Order: sequence, then C-alpha cells, then structure tokens
Amino acid sequence: MSKPVPLSKLDEKEFIVPANSACQGCAGSIVARIVSKVIGEDMVRQEVACCGPAFGNITQPVFYGEVFEGAGAMMTGFARAFNRLGRDDIRVTGIIGDGGTTDIGFQGLSASAERNEDMLWVCYDNEAYMNTGGQRSSATTKFAATTTTPVGEFSRGKKERKKPLPILVGVHRVPYMATASVAYPEDFIGKLQYAKPVKGFRFIQVSAPCPTGWNYDPRYSVKVAKEMVLSGLWPLYEVVEGALRITYKPKELKPVKDVLRSQGRFRHITDEEVDEIQGEVDEFWGRLQEKDGGPLF
Amino acid sequence: MEIRFHGRGGQGAVTGVRILATALFYDGKFTQGIPMYGTERRGAPVVSFLRVGDERINERDLVHEPDMVVVLDPLLGRTVPITEGLKKGGLVLINHPKGGKETGLGGKFKVATVDATSIALEVIGRPITNTAILGAFAKVTGMVTLEAIEKAISEQWSGRVADMNVRAVRKAYEMVSEPVDVSGVKPVDVVKPVPGDRDVSSWRLFKPEMDKGKCIGCRRCYILCPEVAISMVDNKADINYRYCKGCGICVEECPVKAIEFVQETI
Amino acid sequence: MAKFEVMVGNKAVAYAAKLARVKYVSAFPITPQTTIVQYLADMIANGELDADYVNMEGELSCQSSAMTAATTVRSFTATSGPGLLYMHHPMHMTTWARLPLVMAVVHRSTKGMQPDQMDTMSQRDTGWLMIECQNSQELLDTGIMSFKIAEDERVRLPTIFMGDGYILSYTSEPVELPAQEEVDAFLPPYKRPYPMFPEEAKEAMALMSQMWNPFVDPQNVWKQQQEAAMNAKTVIREVNAEFEKWFGRSYGNGLVEEYKCEGVEAVLVAMGTIASTAKTAIDQLQRDGRKVGLVAIKSFKPFPDDDFQRIGADVKAMGVIDRNVSTGTLGGITFTELRHSLYDLDERPMTLNFHAGMRGKEVRVEDIKRMAEKTLKAARGEKVTPLVEWA
Repeated sequence: MSKPVPLSKLDEKEFIVPANSACQGCAGSIVARIVSKVIGEDMVRQEVACCGPAFGNITQPVFYGEVFEGAGAMMTGFARAFNRLGRDDIRVTGIIGDGGTTDIGFQGLSASAERNEDMLWVCYDNEAYMNTGGQRSSATTKFAATTTTPVGEFSRGKKERKKPLPILVGVHRVPYMATASVAYPEDFIGKLQYAKPVKGFRFIQVSAPCPTGWNYDPRYSVKVAKEMVLSGLWPLYEVVEGALRITYKPKELKPVKDVLRSQGRFRHITDEEVDEIQGEVDEFWGRLQEKDGGPLF
Repeated sequence: MEIRFHGRGGQGAVTGVRILATALFYDGKFTQGIPMYGTERRGAPVVSFLRVGDERINERDLVHEPDMVVVLDPLLGRTVPITEGLKKGGLVLINHPKGGKETGLGGKFKVATVDATSIALEVIGRPITNTAILGAFAKVTGMVTLEAIEKAISEQWSGRVADMNVRAVRKAYEMVSEPVDVSGVKPVDVVKPVPGDRDVSSWRLFKPEMDKGKCIGCRRCYILCPEVAISMVDNKADINYRYCKGCGICVEECPVKAIEFVQETI
Repeated sequence: MAKFEVMVGNKAVAYAAKLARVKYVSAFPITPQTTIVQYLADMIANGELDADYVNMEGELSCQSSAMTAATTVRSFTATSGPGLLYMHHPMHMTTWARLPLVMAVVHRSTKGMQPDQMDTMSQRDTGWLMIECQNSQELLDTGIMSFKIAEDERVRLPTIFMGDGYILSYTSEPVELPAQEEVDAFLPPYKRPYPMFPEEAKEAMALMSQMWNPFVDPQNVWKQQQEAAMNAKTVIREVNAEFEKWFGRSYGNGLVEEYKCEGVEAVLVAMGTIASTAKTAIDQLQRDGRKVGLVAIKSFKPFPDDDFQRIGADVKAMGVIDRNVSTGTLGGITFTELRHSLYDLDERPMTLNFHAGMRGKEVRVEDIKRMAEKTLKAARGEKVTPLVEWA
C-alpha cells in the first residue's frame, strides 16, 4: 500500500537536465521529472515514439525506441539480461505515452504483465498522439475533438469511451497497478516509491493534460488535471496483488460539466453529451467505492 | 525571390507561409511554401520558407540565401541567427514594438518593424502573430494585395476567426514602419544554446515574479515546474529564468499567490 | 571429444545456440521453425543449457526483446516466413543499434508453408548479415560461426543463419557435435557491446550521440553500417578458416563454396539445399565429360562480389538458380546481384537465370542437369532463350 510523500521529504538531487524542448506547460515533462527523481540512479529507461524525446532529458541510460509497439518486449529483454548478470538493483523503467500503452503497445503491455516481467511501466496519459499533432488514441475521452476526430456537421468528436486501461492491467493480477495525476505529486511520488523496490510488473498511469492538444492556456495544465480528479473523470486508486484501494476520495465529486467546458477540445459538447459522461463517471465512481478495500474482481 | 520565416511552434509560421503563398498565387505568382520538416512544439524555434516566381518552381532544397527574412517573434534573434545568409541589401520584417534600429539587428540590410504581438493580443486575444505579419508584408514589399491575403484567409478560416485575422492584417498594414537601413548598427550577439544547458528564456511572453516574502516553502511550484527551473534556496522557491518558458503553472499553483505573472517587456 | 548423432536440421540449430552458451532465448511458434525453440526449452528444462527462455507473444516481441537483451548477454531467437516478416520493423532497429544478435531462419514461403527464400529476401536491406546452409552439419557449424562473426569488433552486425524448411528442418542426418570445451575456446565469452548499466550513463550517452545523432551527418548510421558489412567479408573468411583449424570443417572460403570448378567452361550458381542437390548433378555431368561446376553462395549478405568477379573472368557462362522472385525486375535476386558484380569485368560471361523451388516446388537432379546443359550451350556461344526461365 502506498503512502503520500510530503514534498518536504524530497532531496534536491535531480536526474534530468533543466529546460526542454517540449511545449510550454507540458504535464508529461512533470511526469518524467518526478519519475527520474524517485527512481534516480537505479534507472535504465526504455523510450518509444512519443513526446518523450522532447522532455525526457534524463541523465540515466536510455534505449531509444524506434520500435513504437515494442515497449513491453524491449523492457523484457533488458530486465531478463540484467537479471542474468545479477544486476537486480537496476530498475528497468518505461515512460511511455498513452498511444504506446493503450493502442500500438497494448499487446506487449498485456504480455509483459502476464509474464510478470520485472519492469516499471509509467504511462503518461495525455489522451492522444500528441507528438504527431493530437490524433485520437483509445485513451481519448468520448466526445473530445482531436485532429482525427474533428467536430463537424457529421461528427461530434471521438465516438468511443476511454479504454479502462488501469482496470485491464489490474485484472492481470500484477504486483502493483495505480493511477496518478500530476496535480497530486505527493500521491504520485508515494506510489512510485512503493513500486520501486517491488519485483515484477508495476504499472502507473498518470493523467498528464496537454495544453496544445486539449486547447487550453498552458498555465492551467495542473489545474485541469486536478479538476479531472475532483470530478471523478480520473479517480486515484491502486491495486496491490488484486486488492483495490481508492487513494484519494473527494468528499463530493464536482460536476464534470465545467471541467469539460474549460478545455477547448470539449467546447462543442451539448448538455446531453455532458450528461452522458456524467452518468458514466458516476457509475464508475460508484463501482470503485463498492470495491474499495476489497478485491478488484 | 526567396524568403525565410522565423517563428516559434504555435505562432503559426507554417500556416502563415501557406496563406501568403496562396495570396501571392491569387495575385498571379507561382509560389512554393516550405515548412521545415521535423516535430515542432509550441514555443520551440521553427523555420519555414517561401519562394516566389512566375512559373512552377523546380528547386526543392531549402532557402539558404534569402532576399528577405520575416520574423514572428521579437526575441528569437537572441538565440537564432535570423539574418544568416541574408543577401546584401535585403530586408528584415520583424515583429517588434520598437523601431528598426532598436531591434538588435545590424548589417547591410534594412529592417522594418511591426508590433504584431500587441495587435494579435488586442484583435485576436491570443499572441498568434502569423496573420498580422502578412499585412505588414503586403505594405513593405508591395508584392501582394490585401484583397488576396483576405481571400486566402477566408479559405483557411471562416466566421469570427476569419474576421479577426483580417482585422489583424489590416491593422498591421497601417502600423508597420518604413524599412530603415541598419548598416551602421552594431548587432546584438546571437548566443546559440549549448546542448545540455538550454536557455529557453526567449520563449516567454509572460514572466513569473516571485515575492519571496510571501513564499511559504511548500515546494509545490518546485515539483510542478515542467522545466525544473525552480530550486529551493533557504527553503524559498527560486526561479532560474534561463530555464523558464513562462508557462505560468507556478503562478496558478502557488497556494499563497506569491507569484505574479507579468508581461515581458522588450 | 566430438561425437555423432543423427538429428534433424532444427535440432542442429538448437545445438548451435546451446554450444554458443546463449543466455537469452525468445521463443514463438511458427512452422517449420517451432521445434528449434522446443529443443531449446527441453535443454533448459533438463539443465543442459543455462539461459533465460521467454515465451513471447509474437515474433515482433521476440525480435525486440532479443535485441535489448543483446545489449548485455548473448541472445538468440529463431523464426520462419511470416514470422520473419513480422520482425521487420525491430530488425531495422537491431542494426541501427549495431547489436550482434544471432537469429536462425528456417525458410518458409511468404505464400504458403513450403520453403523459398522470400522471407529473408524481404529483409534484404535491413542491414543483417545472411548466411545460407546446405545441410544440418552446416547449420550447426554456421550457427556457431555466426556468433563469432556478428560479435567481431569490425562487424558488430546482427546475423541470420538460414536453411530450407522441411528439406533441412525435419530431415534426419548424422551430425558431428563439437565438444563444448572446443567451442568455448573458439568462441570467447560475450563482451557487452553496449553500455547500459546505470553507472555507465556517460558512456551510454556518448555512444548514443555518436551512433544516433542526426545533427552530425544523418547518413552516418548507414555509412558505418555499410563499412561494417563490407568488413564482414574479411571476418567471415577468417572465422571460416579458424573453424577449420578447430573442427576440421569449413565451407568454401566462407563466402562462396566452389564445387568442382577447375577447368570448367560454365558454372551453376545456387544457394542452400538447391546447391546441395546441384552437387549431385555436377558429379553426374562431369562423369559424362561436361565442363560445368557449381558455385554455392554461402554468404548472401555481404554479397561475395570479389569472388564472382574472379570466377566470372574464368568461365564463359553462368546459370543462376534463384529460389526467389523480385516482381517487376527481370530475373531473381541473386541473378541481379551477380550481374551487378560482373559489370566491371572487361569480358563478361553470358548469364542465365532459372526461377526454381518457389513455394517448395521440388527441384530434382534432372532439373538441375537441364539448367546446366542450357548454360553449357550458352558457353559454346549458341543462342539460348529465354534468358530468364521458370524451371
């Protein structure tokens, strides 16, 4: 079980070069920095195609990933080879986008989870293929306008709901699975610290809003992330060996309406569409609360 | 005629070049608008090119010795050699609030200025300067008519957005300064970023200013800065402005409102 | 002490990996390769081989994981036909990272289960070295040599050793097993080719910027890869000669095997099991006084241009048998490459091409004899048509 880490407990040591070439207000950058800080000098990183090359100026060894679909397999190779040479101290870590996790990398993710490979997979979830210009992924929320699900006379944005990836990973019965958000760094750091020494497959999906793709002012990146948690659009929970625990419970969920409307990608949505998302959020949150403290399935 | 455009990802340099290429075509020219290939990100320096001729242009390499340089960002010249290769007697059109001799550019060429950022903020409400600069381009070059630019804009956007951009074009057309000779001006040095120690300060339009007296040392801004530009000194947050892009997350997230967001002055 | 065992080709391949003491094996079933990884699984289960064996979820992952494992330990994977096609994307990455991974390919057509070379020919330009085998002994020996070739500092390129499905993979024949101690002496322990440990961050960064930085010269990665592949010509000859010293067997000069070529007017050129069958055809033809020999291509990548220039200068006609097709180009792939090699000669021999054995179509001694007769006819200066035929 993870415990939030007060920011006052952090040391000053950094494993990332300051300033990067990512967009202003990039929340993915925050994820990379926090992961590098917590995993630190034990980290060997796998990268695949994503915005990572723009912000992942981490000073630890990295294997660049031309093989977009290969995160799970490539980390498997590293983990097994390091283990062979007795280097169990090395933490094979992936900082992988939502496309490389939920879509093209999903087969490798599921297979690595099934084999319980010794790796930490951190998915920074900006809900689209942002590096190529904001195309829809299966992690995109329903109705969101993306460059491949535009809004027009015959289109209302993305047609399908967001793939429930944390649950899918959770039912693989991996040693550790958690959701996190850049708006709750204490919670995120606590989860990383818990996951770091655990052997086997560990997965954390971090909500990381993208001002460029979601179309809001860069200064609101963390605020948007926070509102997603407060409204139940992105609940914070973890699954340890099959047992679910909500790690942050807002007293009362904020309505999703204002949260959605504050993002340009949802500017078009109607009250009925808001209601539909609200209904799904309420239902999911209700189920999570039912399962809280017990088995995921 | 070969023109090089300098801007930042998100300012619309590529779109601007395409609109201009379209407008010039409507005025009877053949054009070639070339975006620099690569992954552009909002705020990062980008380049695009425009060739203008009387028939289809076959040359497919990039522009290395432009007749003219158009600069969408006033501070870009600090880190990017924007006049490199510019032909003798050439012209620089730059988005800058001051006169041609006060832009930090000097050499055997002329400089015209227009405060496209102020125009864009006033008319469009966002610092996207790609269309405003086209109005200035029409005025200083005489190569393209305002009507053609407006027609090209109305094909790119519609309704309110098109109207705003047309207004920005017209305003810049009125406000652009006469090109002045800067051969007597000593240019400000271009400091190219050193790998591993990037200076991104020129990305900023707004600057976070910290009131250390108010800072409670909670470290929220420290951990949430995407650039790792904030360190803790004597338990107070300290901003390294070389690394600050001016995103404003710290301003928004400070629980005691110790950080103010003030517009950069040039 | 060396000993003989009657075994199928796939078992010989598994022995090559075992004797090379691979530490990582990624496995996925596909006919006719599957039994290779089954034999390896057994060897590990019985304690004969100490390696990590990972049942992957597809060939793409087999290739990707063996690639990253090869940064640190000697690694091996194997596949066939469509499985190799599925590896295509990470195969380019393995050469980009210059990792000396060794892979066995049991030829399977891309259009059916029976063998032809369309699987490896479809990977022709991935930058992998490709070495062909004619029998099970050669599979075992070439497998061991492949590790030494791939891992040589002058090469550092991933290497495929390959043989025909069914014809070799499931056919039993006696194979001499080299002693482990001798293989250990021939093939030194794996040197990590890539600094990936956390404490090697600086070296990793330096290597990466040298290999991958596009700002120096985007073409560098290709230039270096090409130099390495050309270096491999020398290295393959050396390794083949050294293998001969240790084990008493070698395969031509490592790049080509010239069979009964002395004083001939014409040669057939072939690869793999077709070359093997062709030896019988040549035996019979020479018994009847025909002046025709055989050149078996052993190394397809690097392509033995120099050898073909030397051989081409001595004969009047060359008949090339291709178990592959390059649709839209006149003639098969080895035919095209061979003619390219001959271009610089002052006097070029006549060249003919035969497409044969596609999708496992049987190639008989009689078929090859007929091809040889046609080539001899061309050598006599008689007109022969067509230049390229479907045998």
